[in-house]
Amino acid sequence: MMCGLRGIPAISVRIIGVALLVSIGIAGCTSKSKNESLNVLHIVADEKLKGLDPIYTNDLYSGIQSSQAYETLLQYHYLKRPYELVPSLAQTLPTVSRDGLTYTFSLKKGVLFQDDPSFKLNEGKGREMTAEDVVYSFKRLADPKLSAPGWWVLDGKIVGLNAWRESVSNTVKTDYSIPVEGLKALDRYTIQLKLLRKSAQFLYSLAMPFTGIVPREAVEFYDREFINHAVGTGPFRLSEYNPNSRIVWDRNPTYRKELYPSEGDSDDQALGYLEDAGKPLPMSDRIVVQVITEKQPMWLNFLAGKLDFAGIPKDNFTSAITPKKELSPELAAKGIRLLKSAALDVTHGTFNLSDPLIGKNKFLRQAISMAFDEATFIDLFFNGRAIPAQGPIPPGVDGYDAELENPYRKFNLVKAKELLVKAGYPEGEGLPPLEYATISDSSARQQSEYFQKMMAGIGISLTVNSYSWPQFQEVIKNKKAQLWEYAWSLDYPDAENMFQLFYSKNVSPGSNDANYINPAFDRLYEKSSVLPAGPERTKTYGQMVKMLVEDCPWIFGAHRMSFVLIQPWLKNYKPNDFDHARYKYYRIDTALKK
Amino acid sequence: MFIYIIRKLLNTIPVLFGVAVIVFVLFNLVGGDPTYQMLGRHATASQISELRHEYGFDQPKYIQFTQYLKQIVTFDYGRSYATKQPINGMIMDGIGPSLSLMIPAFFITTILSVAIGLWVAYYRGKLVDKVVVIFCVFGMSLPMLAYILFGQYYFAYKLGWFPISGFETTWPERFQSVALPMIIFIIVSLGYDVRFYRTAILEECNQDYVRTARAKGLSEPRVFFKHVLKNSMVPILTNVVVQIPLLILGAFLLESFFGIPGLGSITIDAVHNSDFPVIKAMTTLDAMLFILGNLATDILYTLVDPRVSLK
Repeated sequence: MMCGLRGIPAISVRIIGVALLVSIGIAGCTSKSKNESLNVLHIVADEKLKGLDPIYTNDLYSGIQSSQAYETLLQYHYLKRPYELVPSLAQTLPTVSRDGLTYTFSLKKGVLFQDDPSFKLNEGKGREMTAEDVVYSFKRLADPKLSAPGWWVLDGKIVGLNAWRESVSNTVKTDYSIPVEGLKALDRYTIQLKLLRKSAQFLYSLAMPFTGIVPREAVEFYDREFINHAVGTGPFRLSEYNPNSRIVWDRNPTYRKELYPSEGDSDDQALGYLEDAGKPLPMSDRIVVQVITEKQPMWLNFLAGKLDFAGIPKDNFTSAITPKKELSPELAAKGIRLLKSAALDVTHGTFNLSDPLIGKNKFLRQAISMAFDEATFIDLFFNGRAIPAQGPIPPGVDGYDAELENPYRKFNLVKAKELLVKAGYPEGEGLPPLEYATISDSSARQQSEYFQKMMAGIGISLTVNSYSWPQFQEVIKNKKAQLWEYAWSLDYPDAENMFQLFYSKNVSPGSNDANYINPAFDRLYEKSSVLPAGPERTKTYGQMVKMLVEDCPWIFGAHRMSFVLIQPWLKNYKPNDFDHARYKYYRIDTALKK
Repeated sequence: MFIYIIRKLLNTIPVLFGVAVIVFVLFNLVGGDPTYQMLGRHATASQISELRHEYGFDQPKYIQFTQYLKQIVTFDYGRSYATKQPINGMIMDGIGPSLSLMIPAFFITTILSVAIGLWVAYYRGKLVDKVVVIFCVFGMSLPMLAYILFGQYYFAYKLGWFPISGFETTWPERFQSVALPMIIFIIVSLGYDVRFYRTAILEECNQDYVRTARAKGLSEPRVFFKHVLKNSMVPILTNVVVQIPLLILGAFLLESFFGIPGLGSITIDAVHNSDFPVIKAMTTLDAMLFILGNLATDILYTLVDPRVSLK
């Protein structure tokens, strides 16, 4: 039976079809009518930003964005490797007292905070940054009411600062006027820091985004909204801030005179990194940061030339990189360059040594470590972009020993089974299933399945428990898991940052998740942490690595390699793990970009 | 009707309470303690304790639940754990982008699917009907992600007709940002909607009053618009109104892949970060919108069908 309306539905369809075509037409024809300058950096952030307040920048992307506006006393030399600290807001590196406890910094004069309505006394014109701003910023990092995740960089280090933190913890409003003995503005341009004990790593803290210098007026003016503003002394001013989609930075017109470095590594000249030597920074007029959390749009935007550089998503790796780990001819023909560099990190399986079964049986841990085929794991999960780790120290950092061969990281099922016999569980008999904790995402699930398969090779059964990320943290911090995968990227270029993960005073809920307690290791750690870089410290680091290899609190996994693709028009891109303010060095070759 | 509305609105109280209980229990059972995530791996025991105190995690559960109920009543959920932004502000900022995508997509889908539904109902059993039904089934069978991946690659990257991703706040650039996700939404939704409307219209076509109308000599357009379509409005309205809350809450996948900072994308991030206050706010908003949507449907029934009365 027919139910009729001859003609009318067809007309409706036509009308709507025309509407759709018009919409497509508008979409297609309205492409970029704006006259955008070519000297603009286009960057991707593949995670949404958590704010710009320096004291909360405990994730990479927030740290990088915050550092476009906020500066620290020190910074890393952009080109030199190994990494070297150089002054930023400080005039020079500090003078250090004979006992190594007092650091005195002279600040650069005439450094202005960016113009902002919060500077009411100056009618919105940014005022000069002074030593009092440094004192305020450091106290703010210590303020217990702000619960700053970056507090650890100063915790227990400056004379009187912990006591100040304690004294203001129960007050209604934090009193920043209470003096701190170890944190003094000696005059307008001189700041003195007194340490509780010598520390070879302390200066690194002063180059981390957490210690960015903020003006008190802006903090008080914006109050809780300060996290969404940026009022620093840095090379860029915030023009647009939508942490979910886009951030735009424009050149700060009141930025001080800072120049592109004139010296670098031996091959930097040949690689073109010194072409801009001595030129004023920043090199770009604007930075447009697109927040793109999905891999496909990020990758397509890069291929379309909408991003100046990008990592390679796992799923696109084989199309972009040849089996010899070189750039594919198609991309090379477009002038795209591939930069490979070792990230300063280590992935690792973690044993919870506070667990009565795992913690008391070194042979069991060694057997598990030996039964894990890292090479295949790297191929499967990192597209071969990693170096098997023999110990905790990544290549390029003092203490790394390229000759080190960890006997428990050579994949050998026969020897692993022998160790299992020594552990009291021949072929895994009598050993209850071990609990493997992981997060509930597809990649983690695949990795856990691989782990299960590896352990089955020596007769060990694993029970995989998947958790949400906060749950996973909770389980680990409360010492409830037996075994899990993790990774650590160095906060600063010193192996001490890795060794503190094994220091007994840092056991859970601190950073020593493995709950490794070894008094001999502690003594070496305490000794090394005050030693300056040199043969003695390197030797001590070597002794500590040996202890960790033998005690096996971790299954040392891999040091990952970073593969970054660079558009032909982007200049001065040099991989840098620690300089969060690095965009100021990047230059767009506008002639090439046309 | 007024009493009916009041009674319906009062009924929302136990529903919202039930939603609150479920959300609270779920997050306390499987959500984990957000303190560790907020402070990172360097956190000390004292820092953890301070933060737990600051956020009230150390309070007894019943007090935490009471606080949550207070937030529902005042609609003040405080700030996001992850971004420390005021949640009401996040929602207000997210509504615009979500509606920019969803309102045109929804209207075009509805008009198109009702029109196609009428058309294939007219040709029931003929080739055109079968072809459309096959296309509908095919469209419904493919996941939205497949359309997104193909659309982004082919239409945006290869042909350059649309931006690959990103969201512009100004017009007409905003239209450009949402055009491709809108088209994908329409294509994905058409399959289900056309089949639904076709069935609803065919139901009416078989009624005695249609035969009577034809016997009286009414023209086909008059039979269709005056009688069939009007009598089909109840299921059509139900299907349309039930989707209205989704317009505001956004499309999770589309927003995420196309970088549209709408409420769908905010919700996804909140789940990803276990951002409990944002999830609480979005879940409650979700429940409220569905309740209001159902109420609106009931009221609209009385307008399109005089046989329905609200008591």
